[in-house]
Amino acid sequence: MSSQAPAPTTPHPSPARAEDEPEATPFKLSAWLSTQGIVIFTIALVLFAVVFVDGFASLPNLTDVFNRAAPIGIVAAGMTFVVISGNYLDLSVVAQVATAAVVLIAVTNAVGLLPAILLAIAIALVYGLVNGVAVGVFKANAVIVTLSTTFIGLGLLRWLTGGSIYFGDSDGPIRTFGTTRIGPLPLSMVLFVVVTILLSLVFTRTNFGFMVRAYGSNREATRLAGVNTPAVVIGAFTMSALGAMLGGFVLAAFSNTAVSSMSDGYDFRALAAIIVGGTSVFGGRGSVMRTLLGVVFVSVLTNIMVLTGLGFGFQQMAIGLLIVLAVSVDALARKTRSS
Amino acid sequence: MSDKEPGVPPSKTSSETPVPVVEGRGIVKRFGGTQAVDDVSISVVPGEVHGLVGENGAGKSTLMRVLAGVLTPTEGEVLIGGQPLDPGDTRAALDAGVSLVHQELSLVPEMTVAENILLGSTPTRAGVIDGRTQRRIARAALEEIGVTVDLDEPISRLSVAMRQFVEIARAIARQPRVLILDEPTATLTPAETDHLLATLQRLADTDLAILYISHRIPEIFALCDRVTVLRDGKLVIADEIGNYTPDSMVKHMVGRELQLDMEHRRVEPEHGEVMLSARGLKAPDVNDVDLDVRAGEIVGLGGLVGAGRTEIVRAMLGADPRTGGETTVTLDGRRRRIGGYRSAVHAGIAYIPEERRTDGLSLTMTVSDNIALPNRSSLSKGFVLQRRRIAEFARSLAETVNLRPPEIEREVGQFSGGNQQKVVIAKWLGRRPDVIVLDEPTRGVDVGAKAEIHRLIRELADDGAAVLVVSSDLPELLELSDTIHVVRDGRIVGVLPGVGTDEAAVMALAAGQQEVDAA
Repeated sequence: MSSQAPAPTTPHPSPARAEDEPEATPFKLSAWLSTQGIVIFTIALVLFAVVFVDGFASLPNLTDVFNRAAPIGIVAAGMTFVVISGNYLDLSVVAQVATAAVVLIAVTNAVGLLPAILLAIAIALVYGLVNGVAVGVFKANAVIVTLSTTFIGLGLLRWLTGGSIYFGDSDGPIRTFGTTRIGPLPLSMVLFVVVTILLSLVFTRTNFGFMVRAYGSNREATRLAGVNTPAVVIGAFTMSALGAMLGGFVLAAFSNTAVSSMSDGYDFRALAAIIVGGTSVFGGRGSVMRTLLGVVFVSVLTNIMVLTGLGFGFQQMAIGLLIVLAVSVDALARKTRSS
Repeated sequence: MSDKEPGVPPSKTSSETPVPVVEGRGIVKRFGGTQAVDDVSISVVPGEVHGLVGENGAGKSTLMRVLAGVLTPTEGEVLIGGQPLDPGDTRAALDAGVSLVHQELSLVPEMTVAENILLGSTPTRAGVIDGRTQRRIARAALEEIGVTVDLDEPISRLSVAMRQFVEIARAIARQPRVLILDEPTATLTPAETDHLLATLQRLADTDLAILYISHRIPEIFALCDRVTVLRDGKLVIADEIGNYTPDSMVKHMVGRELQLDMEHRRVEPEHGEVMLSARGLKAPDVNDVDLDVRAGEIVGLGGLVGAGRTEIVRAMLGADPRTGGETTVTLDGRRRRIGGYRSAVHAGIAYIPEERRTDGLSLTMTVSDNIALPNRSSLSKGFVLQRRRIAEFARSLAETVNLRPPEIEREVGQFSGGNQQKVVIAKWLGRRPDVIVLDEPTRGVDVGAKAEIHRLIRELADDGAAVLVVSSDLPELLELSDTIHVVRDGRIVGVLPGVGTDEAAVMALAAGQQEVDAA
């Protein structure tokens, strides 16, 4: 009957866990929507498209979806750092994508590929520094700063190019990059996935990514922990700039052309992907992988609208509506979490 | 309630008892689990200056806000001119003539003096602002308190003291029957204070009732006719000023039963070299402070709320900019100047700020992440964080501070206040700090967690760290400190030994009672 005697139990995590399960936070719809919802919604949307939308599940269509998603996805992955740092967004990606695309094609034509890439990197670093210093050091409003640097950048680009369209060499390296496939996948799509994984590792595994998240979660506590917070902000805007540059390269390679107006709307499309993915505009919550999901969702949704004959105007309206919905859910989730 | 009317002053002539302008009967106010005001009755009659005194957290401000209709009492009722006030009806209290001068300035910096004085009751004619009437009323109110200032000057260009006077003019412009002032002299110089006290005296002579909240004992004796003393939310005594002495008033304020936990007190601690030192420190609200903390020593900074203790430590560490003086840290015989805050952290100083939720923790991050933040360099290889080491590190520190539940992957926001505070301390323990500065380390923390935090602080000092503790909790200060520095008006007004000092001695210095003795 020794088995009936209470066995001497060692104090172990198990009792603690057992008593914590019931006190788990009650289900809150908005919190669920903003974190887990996107996974279900993306799967549901893709299934819906496969079953009900004619022409969706064809290789040419999916290739087209990938080709359009890749540049926006890379831009959004970089911009995610800015959003998680609690600085809302980087509107200047519009100017940065166009500049990188024009530099890649025009400078390659004139001088060569390597100088073009080096110049584009230098420009990206300048964007990161200017946006980062204004926001991180001078504490200027990020929306207004990046709206202004968009004007500066696009204005400069249009002034220098006169709005001309640049065409790449028809058998040059850019063209080759734009047309190469790995299996059924366009190279740009592979690059998108690789860049996303890399940035995700930077975000989750490095000291820098950790500080970005900490800063977005609580600026003052992070400063008082001894973190060089202006440097964190400059770093976040630099990640965004490098993402925008790569996005510009992919965009230019896709069509082998570049023009200053080619990236119109990239700011909001990238933002839509980030927010729909569940990264909070209040900072501190989110991830690069979520942005990947958001990009898939927004791209598939756009493709469905194209295939069903809904025009550009309708698409634009839908994206706007989606952002309003997503930020409202985000704000609601934050409110319910804190209560 | 009706058979006895506590708080009503004995009538000067027995035939007519003046009707109190404002009266609180059996006021109880609870916030969650804490009882801020516990069954207090108080009344103020026309022409009377009624002083309300008590320690930090005695419930003065809460009671005042209940009387002004800003807060709804949990129990009891407020009467204005004998008429019950609808609970929490701010507008009705205002209309009935209760005017509150806030402790925190509530003026709009971008608007002019005249606009601010009539804010909320701006005179209009057919919907258009009547500038002339606005200026006339504003000018009259300023004249009444004897202050000259340009009516068109924006508030942002005025000195802090002048803003305080504008705030009072604003209350006067509403033609109140009772004026409630909460620590109005906190930002004033002695000359300005004298002017204000004289003005209030004159206003009281015109039959205005004044409720004057302060913990500055000389002012209370200079101005008040009656004084009500609160302690831990309860009414201790209400009496004519003539029946108090400065000493007896201080005793009433602090006279709780001493529950000092002296058995855990460090016995004859050994002090080494000076490790943390400030000389001639100046900053806003910090006036020329010298302060030394030795290895193995716990120095307590005492004083009233608003005395400038937090400002002193923040200026010392460079967390807020200084305007003069310098801080040095001596480690291994090497003296280093502390410039900005980051150089303080690099020099091995740990700082546990006053506001853990806004300054100490990232509530949406896990315990493990919060602990890793100040230790990130030692927990990463190159740029890469060592996740496993972070987890081990956080787990062992959570154990050291006895975090409950010991779940390091939970968001900090989900823990109780006491356990959150343990996380703030754990963050910095991991750096094995040589100098540690703690601002209100046990505020809002339950008794058990408090004892554990005290144990940690003592252990740090026993291991040779220099410890500086700011605390508004007098027993805590007395239990922990080897040396107590008392702060008033941003300067250190006295240094007391930790052993043999009682609450009254600290309080007397903090409340400036010594000025009375000197006068």
